[in-house]
Amino acid sequence: MAGRRVFVSGVGGELGTLVANLLEDEPWVGSLSGIDADPPRRRLQRTTFHRISPDDHDTIVDTVTKFNPHVLVHVGVWEPDARAAPRVAAALTDQAAVSVLGAAAECRALDSIIVRSGIEIYGRGPGSLTRPDEDAPLRPTSEWGRTVADIERTAANVAERVGVTVGAVRLASVLGPHVPSPLGRLLRQPVVPFHATSDPPFAVIEHRDAARAIVAAARNQLSSPVNVVAPGAITCLHAIRRGQRIPLPLFGPQWWFARQLSHITGAPIPDHVSEALTRGRLADNGRMQALLGMTPDTSTTEVIDHLYRWPRVIRKQARVHAAEQITPDEVSA
Amino acid sequence: MPAPNPSSNSPLGRVVDFPTKRAAAVASEGATVFHRVTDEPAGHVDNWGRDAGLFRTVTMLSEIRWSVSTGGDQRLPNRKGALIVVNARRFALAAVYSAFAISRAVDRPVRFVGRPDGGPVGALAQRLGGLLDHPDEVAGALRAGELVVCSASATTRPRDVGTIDHALIGAAIRSNVDVFPAATTSSPFGRRARIEIGDATRQRQRRRGPLAEVELADHVADDLTLLLTEMGDMTTGTPLDWLPLSGLGGN
Repeated sequence: MAGRRVFVSGVGGELGTLVANLLEDEPWVGSLSGIDADPPRRRLQRTTFHRISPDDHDTIVDTVTKFNPHVLVHVGVWEPDARAAPRVAAALTDQAAVSVLGAAAECRALDSIIVRSGIEIYGRGPGSLTRPDEDAPLRPTSEWGRTVADIERTAANVAERVGVTVGAVRLASVLGPHVPSPLGRLLRQPVVPFHATSDPPFAVIEHRDAARAIVAAARNQLSSPVNVVAPGAITCLHAIRRGQRIPLPLFGPQWWFARQLSHITGAPIPDHVSEALTRGRLADNGRMQALLGMTPDTSTTEVIDHLYRWPRVIRKQARVHAAEQITPDEVSA
Repeated sequence: MPAPNPSSNSPLGRVVDFPTKRAAAVASEGATVFHRVTDEPAGHVDNWGRDAGLFRTVTMLSEIRWSVSTGGDQRLPNRKGALIVVNARRFALAAVYSAFAISRAVDRPVRFVGRPDGGPVGALAQRLGGLLDHPDEVAGALRAGELVVCSASATTRPRDVGTIDHALIGAAIRSNVDVFPAATTSSPFGRRARIEIGDATRQRQRRRGPLAEVELADHVADDLTLLLTEMGDMTTGTPLDWLPLSGLGGN
């Protein structure tokens, strides 16, 4: 088991960097490599990083096949309106999935694929289950849900063709400090809209728990989907109260206007977030312990509390003695 | 596993300080799971979207309408899930007031089956512990160790037991939990209502196929009828009780 080669796609994102950080501490991981369009958010000690654009298929294939990983962890997905507009996000995610998973299929040593997915895959159409488990039918009703369904489908096709296991980690909305999330951004606005007549419950997951789950999936060679959701749930109005924001009750068509207004003010509400706030979004996390050997440390309510506790950037004094500081005169000289 | 502190080593960490230690300390306390309804704080929303504060308020208000006495609740499991099947009179909301009353008796959240999917009523019912009338939804709740109340189809006569949805019974069989019959009586004009939970209904013959759920549904209906007979009728104490086919007794 020891000395395995692990390849992480999307290592430049907050979640990908955290996953790579945790994998570096895993005793079974021999060498670690990762790619992304952006550099990692934190210093990685053992990971070899390659900065490659998702549409550069040839370079991705070369990099992945040269590394010849045993385990591929694919977290290179772009949530709509998190770091990119929905159309761009969908295109980037598709390009990355095709390139990385396609390249992995060419690797002889590969025996396990772990993909980051989302509970949006179940959809919230009429008659959909309140708290779907992993066996529930997949009927995505949002752009993001369809995107993660496509990733799972692509990974399953690759796995079937080359005879490896594939595990999908279906995450609830990931929130955490500096994790770009349209839901987190919306809830931190001074005035937060909520659906006055329904205000349904939704669940989230903290970025640390999400990363731990992905690492556990890689460690255990997960070969099935698993829902990763923090225990408990919260409604938008409860979240607003906890964050001491101003609630803005909305009815029916007003929601469309609120979405446009929120977009202008810098917190766009993509359709999957809108769906969560109008139809709710829960999932059954009962199989986490059995499949991953872990449960989330942080409940949904605590994640929301942390969301409102994140400070803005705190600037500290430079750690340079006063005598060593360069005066403006010296600079000009 | 210790929580990583990314800001300690990186150059970014020297100028930007995130409260990772405090967050990790809070996280290490673990997520609170409330097993007793009375322990739940007002703002708590559970895994199924049941709002503890709203539930408490509505159950308190429901006592204006129904004064329910519950019997046989000691037969229910303490931790495990169970399906409770009640008989229902038309427009009596038997599953709802039964869920409220049993929840109060056992101090555990009790779900009821049959909330609408969507609209303000559906949202309100979900916040009170309502589940969709779907076998997979019921199976999920039972597997999660929840007590779930479902009702037979509503009838006009209080001693009749309507059709029991065998698909919901099948959910209980698949989830490996017991099915309890619970007889309910209530009056449209009075506050008094009663719930008597019987012993768990067992399969009398082992079946491997779907016949098991159909047979068990029939046995539950039989047990419910017996319980209703033992309970007697709800009376108003007025000459209305003498009228047959009134929906209030008179049998």
